[in-house]
This record gives sequence, structure tokens and C-alpha cells, in this order.
Amino acid sequence: MLHGMMSSVRIVLYPPFIMRVLTFGWEYPPSRNGGLGVACHGLTRELVATGTDVLFVLPKQQRTQGNNTFIFADAELPDSVVVKEISSALRPYGQANSVVQSIIGYDEQGNPRYVARTIMEEVHRFAHQASLLAARESFDVIHAHDWTSYVAGVAAKRVSGKPLILHVHATSYDQAAGDNVDPAIFALEREAFAAADQVVVVSNLTKHIIVTKHGVTAEKVTVVHNGCDIYDPPRHRPVLSAYKKAGYKIVLYHGRISIQKGVDYFIAAAKRVLEYESKVLFVVSGWGDMQSQIICQVGEAGLSDKVLFAGALWEEERDTMYQSVDLVVMPSVSEPFGLVPLEALQHGTPSLISKQSGVSEVLTHALKVDFWDIDEMANQIIATLRYDALPRQIATAGKLEIKQLSWRQAAAKIYQLYRSLLQYVT
Amino acid sequence: MLSVCPYFHVHQPYRVKRYRVFDIGYDNQYFNDTSESDLNNRKIIEKVANKSYRPTNALLQELLDTHPEFKFALSFSGTALDQFEAYAPDVLASFQQLVASGRVEILADTYYHSLAFFYSVPEFERQVAKHTKRIHELFGVTPRVFRNTELSYRNDLATWCEANGYIGIMAEGWEKYLGWRSPNHVYRPKDCQRIKVLLKNYKLSDDIAFRFGNQGWASWPLSAETYATWIHDHHGSGQTINLFMDYETFGEHQWEDTGIFDFLRSLPGMLLAHPETTFKTPTETIMDYDSVGEYDVPDVLTWADTDRDLTAWTGNDIQRDSLEKIYALEADVLCTRDDYLIEQWRKLQTSDHFYYMCTKWSEDGDVHAYFSPYQSPYDAYIAFMNAFSDLQLRIQHAINAQTTAEVEPDAVVTIPQLLWWLRFKLWWRRMLSRLGFFNNTSHE
Repeated sequence: MLHGMMSSVRIVLYPPFIMRVLTFGWEYPPSRNGGLGVACHGLTRELVATGTDVLFVLPKQQRTQGNNTFIFADAELPDSVVVKEISSALRPYGQANSVVQSIIGYDEQGNPRYVARTIMEEVHRFAHQASLLAARESFDVIHAHDWTSYVAGVAAKRVSGKPLILHVHATSYDQAAGDNVDPAIFALEREAFAAADQVVVVSNLTKHIIVTKHGVTAEKVTVVHNGCDIYDPPRHRPVLSAYKKAGYKIVLYHGRISIQKGVDYFIAAAKRVLEYESKVLFVVSGWGDMQSQIICQVGEAGLSDKVLFAGALWEEERDTMYQSVDLVVMPSVSEPFGLVPLEALQHGTPSLISKQSGVSEVLTHALKVDFWDIDEMANQIIATLRYDALPRQIATAGKLEIKQLSWRQAAAKIYQLYRSLLQYVT
Repeated sequence: MLSVCPYFHVHQPYRVKRYRVFDIGYDNQYFNDTSESDLNNRKIIEKVANKSYRPTNALLQELLDTHPEFKFALSFSGTALDQFEAYAPDVLASFQQLVASGRVEILADTYYHSLAFFYSVPEFERQVAKHTKRIHELFGVTPRVFRNTELSYRNDLATWCEANGYIGIMAEGWEKYLGWRSPNHVYRPKDCQRIKVLLKNYKLSDDIAFRFGNQGWASWPLSAETYATWIHDHHGSGQTINLFMDYETFGEHQWEDTGIFDFLRSLPGMLLAHPETTFKTPTETIMDYDSVGEYDVPDVLTWADTDRDLTAWTGNDIQRDSLEKIYALEADVLCTRDDYLIEQWRKLQTSDHFYYMCTKWSEDGDVHAYFSPYQSPYDAYIAFMNAFSDLQLRIQHAINAQTTAEVEPDAVVTIPQLLWWLRFKLWWRRMLSRLGFFNNTSHE
């Protein structure tokens, strides 16, 4: 009887469906640029870990980490121009007409020959390569990160007809920290958003911008907050320990030094803090187009001995700094998300963040302040340095909280989005 | 016979304004916010007076007039009474009129709605004494039944009440300590011989206080008729139904549009429609019923949150630290004998300040956020600690000034006649201090 039933069932085995995603990005760890690469890596790593096949396309050859497939548009395409990077100017954080210099060859004396292109030209070259690639590769969904990859994503969609997701890590409005946006980037964003099937943003703050400024319909926009790594990082030997022994407290700014990040408000608050607490050291870690202005501001305020410029810190150096300081301040004027407070908490350090940041939508255990309210910023910094229970409480509770904000959860939302776009595709 | 014992708790704290570090040493006013925010104490009193105190008192007066059997109890924090006096004197007058009916009992409490019992019993005693005096001044009565801040209770508090002449005390009727037993009887606190404990029926109390306006609740909308049958169901199985809740339930926690006033208006009539049902004040309940067993609460029990303990006030580092710091000032601040400083110190002991610093998760956390005038627990802590630092500084100055004032006359002596005079004075003081009657140090 049982045998008869068994024989009447025909078992058909379909190969398991593995989704293949063609992803365009502009940078990837350990490339030293900023949060964009970290976010791309976090999401890609978790998507791959949960069984999605990710084909990650970067504009030029670079060292990468992770076990997904990488394609370097400059190296692997037969008709691509071999571009070697000579400076770190090629960044998604610049203006459309920022000039990028590339070495195209060497003269008889062995000196490099440069060619200068605008970022906009680079973006379109990347798109051209993307269309060639899209014709060659097989995939189910296209996912393009940040504005420098939008055109590449749109080009791949035109060629393949596959659904396109644009992932907004920042908008031209964030970079301008106001309404004085780069018209070329804004136009590019508008057109790309119109062509996309779905737009992913990293916060409700960003959703509000692209709905009101770029005219994207709200239904087309999905908020996927960024996450963070939730493992306990190794502890390093602390830096600036001589200051700490002398009774100093240390407050850190970590990030790009640009108008969007509000470093000038940080320095103004530092001045106010030092009127009340002399034993405080402020550290600025990062690079950016506003660096000389900030250094001048420090000199003008007479704070040269109290504000240290650490330069751009990465990996172990950055982690050491996070572990050595008493408070991290993220005073951003406009911050689509802002990974810094999550990274700081991972290292057990509390943060003071601006209310104008996407991360403040999901992080409860942080001090929050309006970026322009210098007095309140100083008030909260001093309170943290004076009342020991405060940083202790924020760090303890915050460390528990970030466990709920992992990259895996963010990747799960992205995966659901892929599935919803593919539901009518057979 | 089944009696209902309603008791409403009236409290308003002095909320600390956004006191910044820059104010330390310059501004000795911590509670005088004048902004449009919820830190403006005057504004809050005026708002809650219109939403809750005025309409509810009018309604309670009406109920007392219509139903001669209707009785209930009130408890007041001194900080609420002070603010009524200053910002809404008519509210205070209407409370006095209710009490004048002779059917409204007032309970004993701490003046500053503090957790002093768990940090300093001498300070607790001073606050209870001040409360008793104030209640007598305003209402002409002396409370006989005690309730502690947030209904916090422990065996040793009951022992203290017995030693200090109270006939009863109130507590949460919590399964952890009741076991299978019902809260609808009177119990004897552990280690006590004379006093009795009245236990809150939290199910029936919270149906009104928390669930009344909740549209997701299975029993919504709750009519007075239905609720009366729930109470009448206890005929035969219980003696007293103790309904303890915040007074502000009426009109403030449950807004007028939930129908809470209509509910309150019809309830006494519905309850009294059953011939065997009556109202009793806490004193009557304690006098009329024998205790049926012992209530043993070795750890602190409160009426707050799902934990029913002190964690809403002492659950995290910033709460514990600020509480310990404020009580650590006791010896110094009393030493100053400066009434203003002592008053500020006591206002900072009000439990609400620590409640605003709560970072507990889940639904309870939402309750805390609803009742907090601050944007975050950390904002609450910073404002509190800045005010605390200013107070600490002022106390230190006052003490320093005292010691220099005491030292100066002795140090300046160069003229021999003066020296003799001072020696005589010192001898005279010593002689007096040998007679216990003049020895003012023994009073401290």
C-alpha cells in the first residue's frame, strides 16, 4: 500500500532559484573613502551569506574584500581604457565639474602623461562600460549604489530590461548642506530616479528630500536604514594616554571635513566647552575640502593646543581612536544616515549626534542636539565629561541596541525588495 | 456585604527646566521654566486644572451631594498642593470643599513624593511630618492611613507605620506576594500586630486607569453598568474592592472624549443599586474588617510597570547615580540651616525626576515617554545633574561662609579685654551645654 502510493508520486526537482544581482558601486573596502564603501560591503556580505549571488562592478581596479564576484570595469572589458588612479580625487563626494586626473601612459623619459576629466565624464564612461557588461552577463536585478553609479544602472536596465533599484546614500542636497545644489548632479538624480523601478533610501530624512525635491512618488521609495557590524572588535593599545593620565577628557570628530558634516559647529562648541572645562582635548580625524578653513577657525579661536588634527584614520588606527576617546561627536548639518555613532558604540564609546541625521531615527541611546545649537552641544559635551554615569549608561544600553541594527537585517529588507520586483517575472 | 474603597492620588512635581552647565553658579532657580514646553510647571498646572481637576472636582462634589453613601479617599503630594496654591487657588478650594463633606478621607504621604524611605529614614520622617502639618493646615484633618510614593511598600515600611501610630497602609495586591489569595480582603503586614494593609485590586483599578480609552481592548467601550457587574460579581467572595489610581486618570490620562466623566458620573449609582454594596473610606475598611492573613513583602513593591518594583526609578546607572548623589547631600544641606537650599534639595528628590531618566524598553518605555516632558532620558539627566551641581556648589559656599563666620571673632582677638570677654563667653556656652535643655545639638 505504502509502496503503491510512493510510486504514484512523481518527484520533480527544480534547481534552487539563486537570485543574481548586478550591483554597481563606486568604492569598496578597504578603499579609503567613507561610509559608502562600508555600507556596500555590509549589505553585499550579508546578501551573499544568505544565498544571493552578487556581481559587484567597480569602475576601476582596486583591492577588495569579501567572497562575491567583482568586475572592474576598467580592467576586464576589452574596449575599456586602462585607467590608473593617481590621486584620491575620484570620489563620489565631489562636484560634477571636479576634475579627475588619470595617468594614460608614460612619455619617453618615463614621466606620467595625465588626462583630466570631470567626474561627470567618468560617470558616463562607467555607464558605457555598464551597458556592454549588461549585454554579456546574466542576472535578475540591477542595484546601483550612490549617484556616481545611477547612470550605469540605468544603462544596464536599458540593455537588459531587468528591474532597477537605485540606492541613495546621499543626495545633492546633503552635499550642498542647503539648497545651493550642483544643478548637473541634481538633474542626473531626477532622471535616474524617474527611470528606476524602486529607490532605496537610508532614512526617512532622505526619503523626505527625494519626495519633496526630486518629485519621486512616495510609494516608489523604500527606507532601509544602514546597519553596523555587531561582533566585538579587538581592543587596541590606547592612544593619547599621556593626556588621559594628566586628567584630560578626549572628544572626537571623525569624518570628512566638509560643509555637510558641520565640523565648524564642532569647533565652535569646543571653544564654549573650554571656557568651562580646561582639561578637554578635541581631536579632528578626517580629510576634506574644508580642512584649511577649519584649521584657520581653530587658530582664530586660540585653540591650537586643544584641538588636534589627526589626519584621516582608517581601520586599526580609527578603531584605536574610537576606543581611546570619551565621546564622539557627529555634528552633521545634513546626514542621510551617519555610521559613525554605530561604529563608536561598537567600540564602547557614546556619541552626541545631530538631530539632522538619519541614524537618529533608529538610535535611541545617543545624545541628540540640533547642529546649530552650539550652546546645547557644549552643554551636553560638558555633562558627559562631568557626570560619569551618563557615558557609562549610554554605552551600555547603546551596545545592546546596535545588536538590533545589524547589516543582516538591512540586507533582509533589500532581499524582500528584490523578491517583490521579481514576483511577476517567470 | 461588599464595600468599594476608591482612592485617588493627586500629584504634580516641580519639573526641572532645561538647566545648562552655563547656569551653574549663576542661577538658583531650577523649576521656573517660562517657555511653551511641558517643563513650564505653571502652564502644566493650568492645563491639567482645566482638563482634570476642575471638572472632576465638580463631578465628585455632585456625586457626594446626590449619593449620601458615596465615599472616597484622596492623597496629595505637598508639591501639588503648593502649586495649586500658587497657580490655581480655586482648585485647592474645591478640594477643601470635598473634604469638608466628611466623606473624603486624606491619606498620609511624603511631602515631596520622594523615595526617601529607601535612602534615608530620618529625611523620610521629616517629609512625612511636614506633609501631616500641611494637610492639617489646609484641611483640618490628620491622616491615619499611610501610602508611600508610587504605592511603594516593604515590610519595614509597614513596621515604621505601626511604630508611628498609623492604623493602616496601602499596597499593590500582587500575585507574587498574594499567591492564590484575593486582594479583596484586609491583611496584616508581616511583623505587625495592630495595623492592616489595604491591597489594590489592580485588575479592576487598571481597567479604568489604563485600559478605559483603549479601543483595542476587548471590553472597549466600557460602560458603568458592565463595570458595576464586574464588581458585584465579587459578592460572596470578597469584602472590599480597593480601586487605587491617579486622580489625573479623569480627564488627563483618559481624556474627556473617552467618556470617562460620564462613566464616573454613573458608576456610584450603578454600584449602589445593588442593596448589599456600599462605599467605605480606607479607615472604615480597616476598622470594619478583620485581617484574613499575612502580607509578606521583603522586597520593594510598587504599582508601576509590569515589574511592580522600583526599576522604573532605579533601573539604570544614571538613575541610581543621581539618586545616590542627591541623598548624599543630606548632612551638608541640613548643616547650612538655609531653608531655601533645603527646599530646593527636597524638590529635587521628587521621584518623577528619576522616572524621566528611565530607559526601559518595551511598552513600559512608551508609558515613560508619554509622561516625560523631556525629549530623552539623557536630557532629563543632564538638566537634573546641572541643577544638582549648582545646589552642591551653593551648599558648599554656605558651609564655608559659616565656618569663616565662626572662626573670625576668635581669630581677630588682639585686645586683652576682648580676649577675656571671649573666654567668658566660651565658658558660659560650655556651662549651658552641660544642661541638656539648652543643648541645641541634640535636636539634629
